[in-house]
Amino acid sequence: MYFNANDVTSFLGQKDFIDTAIVPLISIDLSSEKIKQSGAEVDFVMSLTSFIEQQFKGRLLVMPPFSHMTSLKNEELPQQFETQLHSAGFKHVFFITCDHSWTNIGDIVNIIWLPAIPLESMDASVKKSILEDQLRQVVPMLSTKWAQI
Amino acid sequence: MSNNRVSRRQFLSYTLTGVGGFMAAGMLMPMLRFAIDPVLQKHDGGDFVETEHKIADLTEEPVKVDFSFEQVDAWYKSNVTNVAWVYKDGDQIIALSPVCKHLGCMVDWNGDSAHPGQFFCPCHAGRYEKNGKNIAGTPPLGPLDEFDVQEKDGYLMIGPAKANTLVK
Repeated sequence: MYFNANDVTSFLGQKDFIDTAIVPLISIDLSSEKIKQSGAEVDFVMSLTSFIEQQFKGRLLVMPPFSHMTSLKNEELPQQFETQLHSAGFKHVFFITCDHSWTNIGDIVNIIWLPAIPLESMDASVKKSILEDQLRQVVPMLSTKWAQI
Repeated sequence: MSNNRVSRRQFLSYTLTGVGGFMAAGMLMPMLRFAIDPVLQKHDGGDFVETEHKIADLTEEPVKVDFSFEQVDAWYKSNVTNVAWVYKDGDQIIALSPVCKHLGCMVDWNGDSAHPGQFFCPCHAGRYEKNGKNIAGTPPLGPLDEFDVQEKDGYLMIGPAKANTLVK
């Protein structure tokens, strides 16, 4: 489910079943040498998140992307975000990102880090198979957490 | 030559009839077009989509078949890839929608090692029999949807989804 009016309505009716929140963590770098790379990362994270959403629509709510400038990175914010989501009733919160520096708070919050794959020059079928491969990496992380209760 | 002489009066009446005819046609044609418009509408949703799977390759074991089509959502066009689980039941080809009837996750064939030969939804452990019938005691409340199928030059074509017709 996405964080929009329609899906939130069904979320409210099915709160017992939708117990997982996914937050894309996005760093924006506007410096001229990195802006393109930054764009490719966003493209990848958002494509992968939508793909995860499509597969597990009934169990997770995808939050709007949590974005920040690379220079304004604050390690506290994802933790506070997580606390808020937990108190709103989500049992599991996952952050998904291409920025490796977030893995240093991986002990405190669930960070799914994946290296960005530039998708822009691929045609649709290649893109789909790449995303399927990446999804296969993410599924075990979700299912181990889901199996813990 | 003199028999065919056109008088000024005749010439004017011919010209006026001609021009008047055009003007009337110009008004009537759009009216007619509006009146029969529903017949001329394109039916985007109802078309069959060709897949890359050959009919001859299908077996009794369900396989995942991708098919994509263009979806227009207001001004936003996107290429949507959809999936169907396709298998043969005798001579009949059956294509089931992978969308779980509980909350819309993607079900997987043989997804749960404890229950082989069933469709399994990883989100809340919903299960379906091979014909799409939901198994009582698991969350889903209805059977999986079914797609219309057609054959074209030996290749499988998938049409619009409909309610499951296999479950009695």
